[in-house]
Amino acid sequence: MHELLNNPAVQGGLAPFIAALIVAELFQRMRLSGLAIIAGFAVTVYLASDFSIEPLTASRKIVLLGLLSAGLALPLMLLNPRWLRPLLAVAGGGAAVWVMLRILQQQEMMHMLLWGAGCALYVGWLVFWFDGLNDASVRAGSAGMALGLGGGTAALFGASALLGQFGLALGAAAGAFLLIQMLTNSPLPCGRSYTLPLSFIAGLTGCLAVLTAELPWYVLPVLAVIPVAAKIPLPAKQALWIQSLLLSVVTLACAAGAVYLTWRVTGAPPL
Amino acid sequence: MFKRNVIAVLLAASLPLAAHAADSYTIDPPHTFPRFMISHLGFSTMEGRFDKTSGKITLDRAAKTGSVDIAIEAASVSTGFVKRDDHLKSTDFFSAVEFPTITYKSNSVKFKGDAPASIEGNLTLLGVTKPVTLTIDAFNCGADPMDPMKKKQKCGAAASAQFKRSDFGMKTFLPGIGDDIKLVFEVEAFKD
Repeated sequence: MHELLNNPAVQGGLAPFIAALIVAELFQRMRLSGLAIIAGFAVTVYLASDFSIEPLTASRKIVLLGLLSAGLALPLMLLNPRWLRPLLAVAGGGAAVWVMLRILQQQEMMHMLLWGAGCALYVGWLVFWFDGLNDASVRAGSAGMALGLGGGTAALFGASALLGQFGLALGAAAGAFLLIQMLTNSPLPCGRSYTLPLSFIAGLTGCLAVLTAELPWYVLPVLAVIPVAAKIPLPAKQALWIQSLLLSVVTLACAAGAVYLTWRVTGAPPL
Repeated sequence: MFKRNVIAVLLAASLPLAAHAADSYTIDPPHTFPRFMISHLGFSTMEGRFDKTSGKITLDRAAKTGSVDIAIEAASVSTGFVKRDDHLKSTDFFSAVEFPTITYKSNSVKFKGDAPASIEGNLTLLGVTKPVTLTIDAFNCGADPMDPMKKKQKCGAAASAQFKRSDFGMKTFLPGIGDDIKLVFEVEAFKD
């Protein structure tokens, strides 16, 4: 059993998938199935890393912010003023600067400004567009799965196993969330408990992989298209599994593009 | 009274002399390489080294004291395989962009006879500082044979230590990639 849990594929794929399945199902009645995302991610952190915050490295800041955003999402699900969505995007941008601060401080001024603004824009963008999917569980499920799998695989190719596992865990958890909807042909409650931690963690992981590993920067704009692509119009009367399939094809195509661009630069992962 | 004053003056005058008794050395980077060994999945022991190291060492053989201040460039890690080096530089291991320098500092050099035998110091890796003792396995000083005037003094040493990478928060791929790291430090330094 111990050996099984030490397997990176179990840590970043199977374990978060199972955890997300259980949580999505268990919390369905409380309309908190979206917690599946943070449950899957937390399982991966527990198995592949730890929850300690000393020293507070960039990857630990991501874990911390992921957990905090999931906690913050619960009261935010009760509010829906118009200013909240842009405010969350700004908070995402600020979080990106805070996570990368130590790295940015070591760059020349021009690089520091470019990378800081780029990361803030990327994370803010993801938070904004994913927040727009918080009442569309099938779209959010497909987009989350594609963003997690695409970003995770690209980070893995870009020479960071831990960041790769973070991304893949999100993809696996979102996949579990989507699978339940496909099998039962009924939508799960989504909400900000799903979209907020997903967009925070995926965005910050992507930025960190660019700054500290070999992930090319132009992969991020390709990944950023995913939540927008998940808004394509669909025939409303189609069964949920068909809608899920169509959305997954579109969003996974973007993810595949991101992985291909990374692979062209880095080749196979150095494992 | 006069005798006491003379003694005081002599003592005061001898203080700078005592301070100068410690010899200061600057590390010779092309001949200084920290190497590390680590178990790979229990099958073999992989070896790597850091190509860029700098620092200062002081030794006072008479007082049997000394200090060490070494900086190692994390991004200079080299294992003979570029992809693995890139991986080692990433957040999985040395996180070289976030923590560009690994340092070892000590003010406690233990002597055995005339030569230093061990160094009790602090290793800072990934922002975590922990005590690590270096055992000095070999120590030689003398005139640099490459200096035509034979005036340049140089010392060389081989030191080793063992520590757990998890103590510094480096936990990726444990236990497959071993936790115990053996460090072998070959160093040469010119007398200032």
